[in-house]
Amino acid sequence: MCATTNGESEEFLRMHDHGSKDGTSNRESSLHKVLLIGNPNVGKSALFGLLTGTYVTVSNYPGTTVEVTYGNAVLNKVRTLVIDTPGVNSLVPMSEDEKVTRDMLLSDRSDVVVQVADTKNLRRGLLITLQLAEMAVPFILDLNMDDEARSRGIIIDQEKLSHLLGVEVVKTVAIRRSGIDKLLKGIQHPRPSPVEVRYDDAIEGGIRDISALLPEANIARRAIALMVLSGDESLKGWLHANLQDHIIADIEGVRQTTQTRFNNSLGYLINQRRMKKADEILAQVLSLHEAGKGSAIAFHIGKWSMHPVYGLPILFGVLYVVYQIVGVFGAGTAVNFLEKMVFGEYLNPWMTKIVHFIVPVPFLQELLIGDYGLFTMAITYAIAIVLPIVGFFFIAFSILEDSGYLPRLAVMVNKVFKIMGLNGKAVLPMILGLGCDTMATLTTRILETKKERILVTLLLALGVPCSAQLGVILGLVSGLSGLATGIWVFTLLSVMLLVGYLAAKVIPGEPSDFVLELPPIRVPQFTNILVKTLARVQWYLKEAVPLFILGTFILFVGHKVGALAYIQKITDPIVVNFLGLPSRAAEAFVIGFLRRDYGAAGLFMLAKEGLLDPIQIVVSLTVMTLFVPCIANFFMMVKERGMRTALYMAAFIFPFAFGVGGALNWTLRALQVKL
Amino acid sequence: MSELKRISGIPGQAGHPALCVLPEIEKEDELFEIIWTLREEGNLSLDQIVQNCTLKDCEVILTDLAKSGWIDIKGQAVELLSKGEKRARELVRRHRLSLRMFYDLFSLDGAEAEACKFEHILSPEVTDSVCTLLGHPPNSPDGKPIPRGECCAMFRQEMKPLVAPLADLVPGEQAKIVFITPGSHSRLDRLSAMGVVPGSIVKLHQKKPSYVIQLGETMIAVDKDITKEIFVKKV
Repeated sequence: MCATTNGESEEFLRMHDHGSKDGTSNRESSLHKVLLIGNPNVGKSALFGLLTGTYVTVSNYPGTTVEVTYGNAVLNKVRTLVIDTPGVNSLVPMSEDEKVTRDMLLSDRSDVVVQVADTKNLRRGLLITLQLAEMAVPFILDLNMDDEARSRGIIIDQEKLSHLLGVEVVKTVAIRRSGIDKLLKGIQHPRPSPVEVRYDDAIEGGIRDISALLPEANIARRAIALMVLSGDESLKGWLHANLQDHIIADIEGVRQTTQTRFNNSLGYLINQRRMKKADEILAQVLSLHEAGKGSAIAFHIGKWSMHPVYGLPILFGVLYVVYQIVGVFGAGTAVNFLEKMVFGEYLNPWMTKIVHFIVPVPFLQELLIGDYGLFTMAITYAIAIVLPIVGFFFIAFSILEDSGYLPRLAVMVNKVFKIMGLNGKAVLPMILGLGCDTMATLTTRILETKKERILVTLLLALGVPCSAQLGVILGLVSGLSGLATGIWVFTLLSVMLLVGYLAAKVIPGEPSDFVLELPPIRVPQFTNILVKTLARVQWYLKEAVPLFILGTFILFVGHKVGALAYIQKITDPIVVNFLGLPSRAAEAFVIGFLRRDYGAAGLFMLAKEGLLDPIQIVVSLTVMTLFVPCIANFFMMVKERGMRTALYMAAFIFPFAFGVGGALNWTLRALQVKL
Repeated sequence: MSELKRISGIPGQAGHPALCVLPEIEKEDELFEIIWTLREEGNLSLDQIVQNCTLKDCEVILTDLAKSGWIDIKGQAVELLSKGEKRARELVRRHRLSLRMFYDLFSLDGAEAEACKFEHILSPEVTDSVCTLLGHPPNSPDGKPIPRGECCAMFRQEMKPLVAPLADLVPGEQAKIVFITPGSHSRLDRLSAMGVVPGSIVKLHQKKPSYVIQLGETMIAVDKDITKEIFVKKV
């Protein structure tokens, strides 16, 4: 979904490699670098978009950005590289995405660090400010979302804060573009903050001893020593790269000796002291006034959405509205219009005429406009069937994302997720999987333990249909009874629950605590919804259409050389006898390897031609949903979890999907269920 | 325990005999504390005691204590005998409870010096009252365990403490975090980075289907287990 993030960073890395290989690293170092840093969900990505003019996904929940994003901009007449980072609560990382941010500070010298803070949550922002001060990096503090703080009656004395911290402090409302000129002025004068936190004598002793052993670095030794004392496992790689083993052992010795002086973890004691300092600063700059009404209404909506009784009807209400928008309007009205009218009446007949006129070779004619024609099949599927469905899905999904509702779902489902060895936090990547499983697999980085990341990767690949696929599925089930849809949903959920439960027993490791920050409920901003949906549609076209064309080409060749008929023949025992589907459904499964939505679209067409009865639809949908992940998702699984794990998962899912489909087929037939 | 009875008295009265005399007793007390703490750390030996002791006549007092049956010294090995055990235990309990009190209730930093004075003047009754008032805290502010007293065993059935787990609040209630006893270190680090530290004001929003707490403008959903480990005082 945030393909821009990916592509952008990879592009940059290539440029980066290129530069250093040629020995022209001067050019790179002359480029001014601005690093955006801050707590989760404070608007770093919104600010990034504003500074660079490049859109990256902006949503109302923590963990939208899990990778570093680079963008070019000309700020104050200087060519600048702006860097967006995943949100952190502390610069001692607790998960993979947080580590990325800390490593940027540690290994990559930036000219300016802009700390973005949520004005109404300045207390937590100051915790990071104090850490930046310890690092002695030049920075400025941006108090973002100033409007929201004001509406809650929270006013921050910006000048006094600037005076206390010894750095520039500016106020912005990034999504309304206000305060940007002041921010641009501010980044011309970054300074290290002279504020210092004094720790317990024993800790100060540890800091001294460790600092003496550390090498020169981009950030002050004191800050690194504090990370070491906090028991930062993720720092090990950096230490090994920069120090000899015996010195690392000495450092670890100091840490252990210091820790034995206290019963509580040093990380906690250090944070506690920082928080105290933050409170002292806050007390001098914060004034409270009467809150406006708007926030109270949003607050109550947020409250009801997590209510043990009202929460469920609200959830079903939300699902119903999404279904109406995507399944009924998108997959019904919009698809009918595009497929029957636009493509059926006009485009395809025109195309046929044009091709017949220009290309006299029958073979090529068939390649373009035949049954497996690149235009009549690939483009029609991609544009007329899948695009309207995903388009409406993206709109509905963006609204949900920006409203702040999604993390509240985590509160509702935490207990169920515990059965699967996960906790409510895992609901975020799972729901994102409904957008795109590939990007959701990347988002598993927000989870704390390896066990959880593996579990969620597996469940995403197994049972979470992505937007394109889900859209087509919603289109298919909209022609069915509620019972049929219910059976599909029920089968899927019970399979995921069962697999999650069993996998949690098999995969080693501990589950982690459920600690999830809930963003405030907000009215989604029209422009962000629009821009986000367009960015996603663009991403879909870029990623899906070439694969649709490739898939169609494979089918075309398979059809021509008779391989398709052969595949149908050898798969008949499974597809026809075991699953009870028509022979041609094998085609849908073959192209389902490339993209699951393409496979689902194939089923959609079969159903439209009246070749599938309700039971067959439910069975084929179940198989298609559980089916192996699409190629892009598989590559992401390899990248994030390793080849071995990815192959194991695929090897499990493939026969399992058909097994469940077969079982469902036989059960429904045996019980003579009328759908 | 007659020595201890003698030094328990009312604080604040200048020239009170209990406060200005008996330096030997206080010296002994210091040694008892050192022995207890070293034993907790698993480092108890004669050399360690001498090393950690600031008194000049440390060895002499130790020998005296051994003679009068408080402790047993065999080469490097030092052991608390039963009446010594009891005395050390109560002493450490008073010391750490005093620390807790200064730290939590009066938010005094550098409470160490005050606590050192206090530990000598608390009577057993007052000690139990302080313990109850604080909600029978398991740890002192530096995280060291507070030895349990009789009052702690009766806790929960009989007395309604001032300090209670966050999980016991009624949804909608607000309280100040007094101390946290985490099940795991990483849990504590994570929470502290979100502002959950002693001194913060926290509001319990709901208990079902999951616990949701609020600190300032930050709302956090957490497991019930975690809210059992956060001890708060209602405000």
